[in-house]
Amino acid sequence: MSNGLIAILTIAAMGAVTYCTRIGGFLLLRNRSLSPRALAVLEAVPGCVLISVIAPRFVSDKPAELLALAITLLAAWRLPLLPTVLVSVVATGLLRHFM
Amino acid sequence: MSTFSSSSGSLASQLSSGAEFRRGLRESLPVLIGFLPIALVLGAQATAKGFQVWQVPLMTGGNFAGGSEFVAVGLWAVPPDLLLIAAMTLLVNSRHLLMGAALAPLVRHLPARKIFPSLFVMCDESWAMGLADAKKRGVFSLPYYLGTSAGMWTTWVLFTFIGAFFGPMIGDLSVFGFDMAFTAVFLVLLRGAWTGFKAARPWFVSLAVAAPTYLVLPGAWYVATGAISGLVAAFFLAEEK
Repeated sequence: MSNGLIAILTIAAMGAVTYCTRIGGFLLLRNRSLSPRALAVLEAVPGCVLISVIAPRFVSDKPAELLALAITLLAAWRLPLLPTVLVSVVATGLLRHFM
Repeated sequence: MSTFSSSSGSLASQLSSGAEFRRGLRESLPVLIGFLPIALVLGAQATAKGFQVWQVPLMTGGNFAGGSEFVAVGLWAVPPDLLLIAAMTLLVNSRHLLMGAALAPLVRHLPARKIFPSLFVMCDESWAMGLADAKKRGVFSLPYYLGTSAGMWTTWVLFTFIGAFFGPMIGDLSVFGFDMAFTAVFLVLLRGAWTGFKAARPWFVSLAVAAPTYLVLPGAWYVATGAISGLVAAFFLAEEK
């Protein structure tokens, strides 16, 4: 298979999977309720995925990258989305350049 | 919530759906402005990771779930790992199951031919706005919800495309630190979901497993091991309540 075809199939798979999550909750759960344990697991899902995806940043062997991550973490804790992204991008760019 | 659905039939039909649609569109404007920088960054990141420009609006229009698109772009390669990306998309978007379930009692009275297309554009923001409006007015307004969704979908697709188009002209974004933008986005999303240390314990399990996995295993296994161990932790920690 060509790379382009795999890319299109991957994009199509994403769309299909996501639409299933959108109608799945409505179809499966409209007439019943979830156990507290199932709810707790479902609630933890997005956070666990997000932190796992960015986990490599936490174990970088470059001091500039770790410092940039620390600044990003601090900004994310205190600031709204857009200022956080700006602070993070500028700090990362400067640290990579000067360290 | 079930009280909303009982009275909605007569009242909702009296409201002009055109006016309701426009009200939704109007009230979603601040959200649309918030979408712009994120969409541009996503589009630029996507082409930097090997997306063709036209593939970007294909993904953002057909998938329309930003978090999973950032994850997909983060894991993207040429060729991409279809199964890994589909599995991660499922995990990131599994929250839609809960959102759809919460919406169910409000839309149950509507015909399936309206519900299923409407659910296609259910994102965090349009879902939240539709539900908040239903709470305030005592009736779920489908055209209002569709108005919010229409602006969000159009803005998202258009500006991810623009980001993808202009991204390559800016050059290698990692030189300037732009690749850190999506770590920043994720951390802000995590902050938004933070309800205290106790509830976030599975996240720390995920981090503690994903980081060493990344160091010892090739490819993107760290996402799978991290996410799954966090969920196992959530399963067992839930018992303590």
